Amino acid sequence: MKLIINNLSKTYSNGVQALNKVSLEISTGMFGLLGPNGAGKSTLMRTIATLQEADQGTITLGDLDVIKQKNEVRKILGYLPQEFGVYPKVTAEVLLNHLAVLKGITNRRERKEVVKALLHKTNLYQDRKKNLGGYSGGMKQRFGIAQALLSNPKLIIVDEPTAGLDPAERNRFYNLLSELGENTIVILSTHIVEDVKELCTNMAIINKGEVLLRGNPVKTIETLEGRLYKKTIAKKELQDYKQQYTVIAEKLLQGKPNIHILSDTDPGNGFIPQQADLEDVYFSYIFGGMPLHS
Amino acid sequence: MWYEIFRFEIKYRAKRLDTYIYFAIVFLSSLVAVDFFLQGSPYTMKENAPYIIAKTMTILSAFFMMLVSMIMGVSILRDFNYKMESLLFVNPIKKRDYLLGRFLGSFVVLLFIFSGVLLGFVLSEFMPWKDPEKLIPFNLWNYVRTFIYVVLPNLFFGGTLFFVSGALSRKLIVVYTQGVLLLTVYLISMVIGQGGENKIIAGLLDPFSFQTFDIIVEFWSPTELNNKSLPLEGLFLYNRIFWIAMGSVILVLGYFGFSYNVVRNSIFKKKTLISSKKENRIETDISTIKIPVFTQGTGLKSKLNQLLTHTLFYFKSILKEVPFLAIVICGMAIIGINSISLGTFHGVNSFPTTYLIIEELKEMALIFFLIILIFYSGELVWKERDVKLNLIYDALPVSDLMHLTAKFLGLLLIYVVLILGLIVAGILFQTANGYYNYEIGIYFTGFFIGVFPYLVLFTFVSFFMQVITNHKFLGHLLVILFFVLTIALQLFGFNHSLIGFGGNELGTYSDMNGYGHFLAPYFLVKTYWMSIAMLFFIVTVLLSVRGTETSLKKRFQMGKLRFTPSLRKLGVVALLVFVFSGGYIYYNTNILNTYLSSKEKEEYRVAYEKTLKNFEYVQQPKMVAINLTVEIYPKKRDYTVEGRFILVNTNKMALDEVHIQKRSNDDIRLDYIKFDRDATLNNAYEEFDYYIYKLNRALQPGDSIRMEFKQTATTKGLIEQGQSDRIVENGTFLKNDLFPTIGYNSKYELKEKEAREEYNLPPRKRTPVIDGLREVKNGKRGDDGYEINFEIVLGTDIDQIALAPGTLQKEWIENNRKYFHYKMYEPMINFYSIVSARYEEKKDKWIPMQDSLGRSVDLEIYYHKGHGYNVDRMMKSMKRSFDYYSENLGPYPYQEMRIMEYPRYAKFAQSFPGTVPFSEAIGFILNVEEKEDLDMPFFVTAHELAHQWWGLQLIAANVQGRTMILESLAQYSALMVMKRTFSKEKVQQFLQKEMQRYIKGRLTEEVREMPLSKVESGQEYIYYGKGMVNLYALQDYISEDSVNLALRRFLKDWNGFDGELQTDRYATTNDLLGYFKEVTPDSLQYVIEDLFETITLYDNKTTKVEFEKISDKEYKIDLSLETIKYRVDSLGKESPIAINDWIDVGVYVKGADGQEELIYFKKHKIILEQTTLEIMVNKEPSKAGIDPLHKLIDRNRVDNVKNILNE
Repeated sequence: MKLIINNLSKTYSNGVQALNKVSLEISTGMFGLLGPNGAGKSTLMRTIATLQEADQGTITLGDLDVIKQKNEVRKILGYLPQEFGVYPKVTAEVLLNHLAVLKGITNRRERKEVVKALLHKTNLYQDRKKNLGGYSGGMKQRFGIAQALLSNPKLIIVDEPTAGLDPAERNRFYNLLSELGENTIVILSTHIVEDVKELCTNMAIINKGEVLLRGNPVKTIETLEGRLYKKTIAKKELQDYKQQYTVIAEKLLQGKPNIHILSDTDPGNGFIPQQADLEDVYFSYIFGGMPLHS
Repeated sequence: MWYEIFRFEIKYRAKRLDTYIYFAIVFLSSLVAVDFFLQGSPYTMKENAPYIIAKTMTILSAFFMMLVSMIMGVSILRDFNYKMESLLFVNPIKKRDYLLGRFLGSFVVLLFIFSGVLLGFVLSEFMPWKDPEKLIPFNLWNYVRTFIYVVLPNLFFGGTLFFVSGALSRKLIVVYTQGVLLLTVYLISMVIGQGGENKIIAGLLDPFSFQTFDIIVEFWSPTELNNKSLPLEGLFLYNRIFWIAMGSVILVLGYFGFSYNVVRNSIFKKKTLISSKKENRIETDISTIKIPVFTQGTGLKSKLNQLLTHTLFYFKSILKEVPFLAIVICGMAIIGINSISLGTFHGVNSFPTTYLIIEELKEMALIFFLIILIFYSGELVWKERDVKLNLIYDALPVSDLMHLTAKFLGLLLIYVVLILGLIVAGILFQTANGYYNYEIGIYFTGFFIGVFPYLVLFTFVSFFMQVITNHKFLGHLLVILFFVLTIALQLFGFNHSLIGFGGNELGTYSDMNGYGHFLAPYFLVKTYWMSIAMLFFIVTVLLSVRGTETSLKKRFQMGKLRFTPSLRKLGVVALLVFVFSGGYIYYNTNILNTYLSSKEKEEYRVAYEKTLKNFEYVQQPKMVAINLTVEIYPKKRDYTVEGRFILVNTNKMALDEVHIQKRSNDDIRLDYIKFDRDATLNNAYEEFDYYIYKLNRALQPGDSIRMEFKQTATTKGLIEQGQSDRIVENGTFLKNDLFPTIGYNSKYELKEKEAREEYNLPPRKRTPVIDGLREVKNGKRGDDGYEINFEIVLGTDIDQIALAPGTLQKEWIENNRKYFHYKMYEPMINFYSIVSARYEEKKDKWIPMQDSLGRSVDLEIYYHKGHGYNVDRMMKSMKRSFDYYSENLGPYPYQEMRIMEYPRYAKFAQSFPGTVPFSEAIGFILNVEEKEDLDMPFFVTAHELAHQWWGLQLIAANVQGRTMILESLAQYSALMVMKRTFSKEKVQQFLQKEMQRYIKGRLTEEVREMPLSKVESGQEYIYYGKGMVNLYALQDYISEDSVNLALRRFLKDWNGFDGELQTDRYATTNDLLGYFKEVTPDSLQYVIEDLFETITLYDNKTTKVEFEKISDKEYKIDLSLETIKYRVDSLGKESPIAINDWIDVGVYVKGADGQEELIYFKKHKIILEQTTLEIMVNKEPSKAGIDPLHKLIDRNRVDNVKNILNE
């Protein structure tokens, strides 16, 4: 089964163009959607998750027309929104059980088993009798994934799932996600490059509503091979460097700017070659106006 | 700093559209408030009288308390809802500044919104629809002062209450629940006020000051009410101060109670301590956990399962809410507060029968249902969005229909809980009152059939509004407006079941007839409205917000895609039900029966009058004999009458026409009319059911003619309530006005002044003048015959007893039907009724103490099984009445006297010759408490029996004063029977009640208050209230014997059958007063003038009482009295006149048992406004004063007697 997005556009009533002719083909496995805040990721995700209308374009999932056959899609969809709340006075078990019924698991015995397994899987079993109001951010996020996994979805959409999680929680979450990609389409939107690097076999970079790059993370890194240089400079020099070079990333290293530039030739001037990683790819597309060449 | 917050609040509100919408609503409501309020109210003051302004403004400010809650309650709440509190509280703002800024800010916004009240009221005076005759000159200050004295304090108190409850609870529903609290306080104050003694407390406690006004103006004259402003003093001032103080206290409590923290301790629940000990968690390898295989149900069973779970989930979520439970408990408590007086008739309560409790609960709990409905439907529609779970829910494979249906059903289950709570409360209340006849079936019918469908319909409306507006508060407001509009439309005559939202209410329950014939049409109409509501629900589903698209336009576009086959199917079914039920209703209402809108009805009456008025005084023959055969079919609700009238020409000229009027109901068909001489029918007025028969041979004076007719009344189809409650399955009550009458019937004429003007009809006097030459010859009641021989055969169902005037000749069974033959041996007036029901019987006999008092009379009471509570009282009353009346008024002409119970569709007892149909509601189920209550079953019986003389023997002319002869004399006669049977105190109690009725009634006079002797129809407060008080005063001045002597002479001379004065007219009060004057000494002749010929009132007051102990047996009392005697002139102006009156002066001592006892009681001649008296008594006095027993009409009765404080 494949998810095919074709020419999808969306402009909000306030004039913001959230999606501009987005076309993507996503097959089974983990797919990372990388982009800065406000790039249109959530709009795209919500549209795929049947929660938003597009102005034009189509989305198909296998034989299903996502725009028109919303309810069919919902049957095989697991969705974890970017931001969600919970009923504070309901326990995880009760709410999950309730959601399970709504997902169609109406056989009581089966449902009990599924809910139990998912609570175990998300490591919430011990806290299942606690009111959701008392959950920490990580627990809540795990609850979110538990509900997304109910009903054995063919398409899972997780929108910025690791935002606000501490490293330990994030790891736990990765473990959960990584298991899913085997026979499901999992779309993971994030602005954190690490997420994609660690989990995804395929990815797209999206900014200002447009797809800037799609491909395999490893292969995209290769395109920067031998073209990346770095240097630690003084703060006041930053502007000059920015004018002279294609600066794609600037980080502080012990208080001083450490810049990455893109150059087909060795720029000299104290720059030393740098092993490219996905982050550089990301920055080069977002800030560096890539591709400079193929 | 507070100023910044203050400004922020105002700016925030100023930018929001709803602020202006609220203003507009308040303004527009104020513009029409007075007109709306006066519509159907008993008030007859000028439309801009200060009292009316105050009353209406108060009602409006109370009604719009909901706006106060929306503005004030949410100003703090908002920060929590939008999760702003962390950002705000971290700033260096002081709690005081925060609260003060927010409070003042929202209060200023509130003032802006409510300035619409002032503006609207002021402008309303200049609206084009205002009738200048009904206005006093414009006075801005009248509006402003009311606004300042009434509206502002109400806003302040309400504002603090809602503000603080919102700030402390941080929950909107808690804010709304305060409204319930306010209402409860108001109801409590109302109940306290009803007692009469605790008026001060009631007036103080009323948070809106409704009752405070009424207590203040209690003794005002109509002139004062029209012109005088409510002074800000006394009770009114204290009430205002009290509530402002309460508001301030709340504000202070709120200040200290408000926790300026993000996390706070819950008011309702102890915080569960989060255990800090590390739990021993085992991090299992999650990849080893396999998710078990399961099936995703898609079938119907699984869908139903989903729906059930989903519904219960929502249901439980509300059930757990503390405010909901608070509402249920308040609702349950309200029956305890308010049902102290259930089915009250003249201060006597009924037994707490189930239907009375239901009626009470329906009325009282309406507000609770409304709050739950409006609030929780909003909460449910927004439930997921409020906690931001919506995106997860919206992506679930659950259809839009199921999602909304589950919320809908969840809310319905909540109503069920409240209803069950109310039923339990009702049963507890019955038990506490020692009434154990729990009719669970009636409880369920009353609520689940009588109330539930409306809740369902309005819930549909509420969901629709919430979805369309996509704005919680606006949705709330629209539902309320819709609700008000529905009621308003009904008031203004849009009452066809196909148009009036929800259709009519389920008709009155009667123990005798159950819900009777009301049920079938009720179900039909509800089906129709349910189908409409279902269609709207489908639209609601299609437009409901799912996902992130919220604009209505977008939702409209998406709606097409969401119109799933199951929704289509549902739509088709709803549409079919709509068409068929609507069609069937139309067929029943408009085709099988004739439906006339109120406008059409008016027009018909206008045309009747315009066409036929010239026949009003056409000379016609009179009935002298009536012989009827009436077949009653209670189950089918049909009857037929075959009859023979003998008509005699009592005029001086020959007659060649007989005019017959058929009752103009379209369910009545006149099969034939035949005369025993040839006559040709003139059909020209058939549209008015008015037939003129031209006799081929004229009817000579003194000649008689026989008329035979047959009339069939058929109940066709399902008729909605209001058409005919007269013939029912159990408890038929027919009167002779249903049968053909002779000549023009002025009852069809339009009465309302405005309506007559609109149709260019000349103004109609409600009662003809006392010396009108034509109308003194009209006895009105029974004007087709005043001396008839009556015979009737009644057929009814085999298990029923049918009754009519007359002695039972024979009863038999034929064709499985029961027949009764009655015959009157003495003449009677043409005024009779027929009843038929399944009855229990109680029989006795009145045997006169001496032969000169007439024959013995069979006494019979026919009552519904289980309604035997007061039958003995009635029986006793019949005996005592016959004793008194036959001794003091004259003999009773008939051989039997029957009381027959009829269903409570009407609430009166009425005297027909030898028979009194007596409503189920006013005597049979009264729970007479010997100590406190008046024995109303006894009194009503005595009153109705008195009519066997006043009205049935002596006929009063249809002119002014007629009802004094009929009703005041009946009141007096019955009171005299009471006086002979009960204690002095009971008589006093009765007089006080009637005095109250008069004083209050004056204020609601629509045309002009008349003196008793010229009292006009509709002036019940005069002919019942003042009539009893003043006739009692007369017998106090000139003795009971003298009054009775006058009455006996009056009856003897004017008796309709063998009166000694054979005149060609009927008696008037001029005649009556003549008999009174005859027995009154010259020194007291002024009393007749004061009591009957004029409107005279007193303001008696004791200003000083002191006593001096001269010895153990001698106490000298100094009394200072003030007496003002008022006379109302023909223009209605009240002014003091000279006094020269005999008035009671009394001194009380405390008796051994603590009871006050009159030891000095004597009439003194009072000639000055200020009088001082010296009175000697032989015991230590406790209080003293003027007219202590209130025999005179007194504007302010409470200051007549003054307690003597210690020397």
